[in-house]
Amino acid sequence: MTRPSDDKEAPHAAIVVDHVSKKFRIPLEKKYTVYQHLFGIFKGGYYSYNEFLALDDISFTVNHGESFGIIGPNGSGKSTLLKLIGGILYPDKGYTRAYGRIAPFIELGVGFHPELTARENIFLYGSILGLKKDQIREKYDEILSFSELKQFENMKIKNFSSGMTARLAFATAIQTDPDILLIDEMLAVGDEEFNYKVVEKINEMKEREVTILFVSHALRLVQQYCSRTLLLSKGKIIQIGETSQVIEKYLQITREHQ
Amino acid sequence: MWLIEYKDLIQVLTISNLKIKYQSSVLGFAWSLINPLFMMIILYIVFSGIFKISEKQFAIYILIGIVTWRFFTSATNLGMISIVSQPGLVKKIFFPREILVFSSVLSCLISSLLEFAVLFCILIALQVSISWSILLYPLIILIFFGIAYAFSLGLSSLFVYYRDLNQIWDVLLQAGFFLCPIVYPITVIPEKYLALYMLNPLTVIMEIFRDILLNGIFPPLWDVMYISLWGLFLLIIGHYLFSRLKIRFAEEV
Repeated sequence: MTRPSDDKEAPHAAIVVDHVSKKFRIPLEKKYTVYQHLFGIFKGGYYSYNEFLALDDISFTVNHGESFGIIGPNGSGKSTLLKLIGGILYPDKGYTRAYGRIAPFIELGVGFHPELTARENIFLYGSILGLKKDQIREKYDEILSFSELKQFENMKIKNFSSGMTARLAFATAIQTDPDILLIDEMLAVGDEEFNYKVVEKINEMKEREVTILFVSHALRLVQQYCSRTLLLSKGKIIQIGETSQVIEKYLQITREHQ
Repeated sequence: MWLIEYKDLIQVLTISNLKIKYQSSVLGFAWSLINPLFMMIILYIVFSGIFKISEKQFAIYILIGIVTWRFFTSATNLGMISIVSQPGLVKKIFFPREILVFSSVLSCLISSLLEFAVLFCILIALQVSISWSILLYPLIILIFFGIAYAFSLGLSSLFVYYRDLNQIWDVLLQAGFFLCPIVYPITVIPEKYLALYMLNPLTVIMEIFRDILLNGIFPPLWDVMYISLWGLFLLIIGHYLFSRLKIRFAEEV
């Protein structure tokens, strides 16, 4: 659970992850219905699930204003870690703390409703991300001009292309003015021109000392943005440190596997 | 408290719920008025024959029962699916999950208030005398909202894990329709079962609504206290269930 800042352990820490473990339950027979559950009790198989240790005793600290990368092969627990920090999942052991306002760019536009117009969706998505209505009203024109969708203001989202939807989502999400930005593989949402604007916006946030946690397979981007990086594999920390060294380690273990 | 901190989100979600509900139908909002009126006419024709009651009062009696019952069924049905129907939000963005349930029940309340408004117009048209007791209406509807929200909290969190709960709830609601005094007068209940029958908080709520809207009298104070206690009790249970079960929502939806 994400708790507000209150202690003195690390005065300039933005994110503290302390001995976090997370298990997922994988049912052997998926019992989703009451009937199957009752039946399962009689057969004595009520708790028939395997446990999968997605994260195993993870600890690290991200400093305020730092850009921090998380890399690793598929299924290594990167997204799980991001969701734990974002307060979406709960750890089984340990705790995570975030000092400041988090913008979860884990997947953009998940609050959009296809039957509502762009205008209505800006208000809906903006409020889901924690903006007040007055704030949205204030930033409304900026969102539309940034996403270059002014003339589609009253069109329903279901008629938007996926690129248009992503642009609208990104333009709304950056207005949350976060202290901490969680990014999970999202930097390819539009055409070249829009991507350039995205990169520019993220650079701007870096300059404003927004803490950025960046999960990606694009090692080139990680190298470019992050000063420190964490390498995860099978739920364990392999290495944590200066980005180019960690990337080297990652490439090394990838080669060993082949 | 999330209720205050997230009041803008609750408002936007509630309005979006209503927009989505009404804009996909041709007659839109009119349906929620036509529907109970038709039901009243049908049920009045059938049951006034059975119970040999032919006064217009009985039609209003049925209508109050229907409007009350409709809020409970629509709120709990929409509330129950409110977590499962938003997997994207539950899996990707953090905000108090109670808000999804709360705004669903709230949007049903708004629909229901409009139905009550029409009911009120009918009362005036039929020259049913309105008394001061109607001032109790906001309090009673607030308690009723609390009860429906409490049920929805429990149902929505259980529904994440038990996906045939909606079928079970459907059957229970069917039974509930006849266990509440909607289509028959309470006088048909045999004396020896009456005490047991009146334990049902929904029955008490319907009787209170009839007292303040139709009979123009103040309901017994004990009845109001009784449903308040039910509301409190159910809210504690619902909240307890929800906070226990919400921990794995993001993994199970």
